[in-house]
Amino acid sequence: MFISRPATHSRSSGKTLLLGPSPLPHPVSATTVGSKCFAKCVTKPGSSLSGSKSSCISRCVDHYIEATGIVSRALFSTTR
Amino acid sequence: MENSAEMQRFIEFTADSYLNITLQQEQQKAMVSEMVGKLTSVCWDKCITSTPGSKFSSGETTCLTNCAQRFLDMSVIIAKRFEMQ
Repeated sequence: MFISRPATHSRSSGKTLLLGPSPLPHPVSATTVGSKCFAKCVTKPGSSLSGSKSSCISRCVDHYIEATGIVSRALFSTTR
Repeated sequence: MENSAEMQRFIEFTADSYLNITLQQEQQKAMVSEMVGKLTSVCWDKCITSTPGSKFSSGETTCLTNCAQRFLDMSVIIAKRFEMQ
C-alpha cells in the first residue's frame, strides 16, 4: 500500500518527465513504533533484551505496520 | 520574435502551474500520511491491549477498522459544531 511508485510522470507524448510525484511518505515513524512496542514488550527492563523480548518486539513492529494498513484501508476504501 | 516571447510566457506559465499542482499534491500526501500515522497510534492504544501474539485477532482487526471510521464520523460532527458558532 505504501510501496513507492517510481518518481516518473508519463505524458501523452510518451516521453517521461523525471520531476514527477514523490512516493507517499510512510506514516509509521521509527520513534512511534519504538515507543509503542517498548511499552508492550519491555515492561520490566533487565540488564539486556532477552530473546523473548526481541521476538516480541519484532512481532509488535509487524503488527503495528499491519495496523497502519488496516486503519488506512478503513479510511480510504470505497466500500464502507 | 514576438512569437518566441509568447512561447516563453506560455512555457513559464505551464511550468508554474505544474509546480503549484505538484506542491499541493505533496502537501496533501503529507497530510494524509500524518493522519494515518496519528490515527494508527490512537487506535493501537485503544484496540491492541494484549502483548502481540502471532497474528491479530479478528476482534482487534474489527476494532481498528471501527476506530478509524468512528474517528472520521467524529471529525464530521466537530466540523459541523464549529460551523454553528
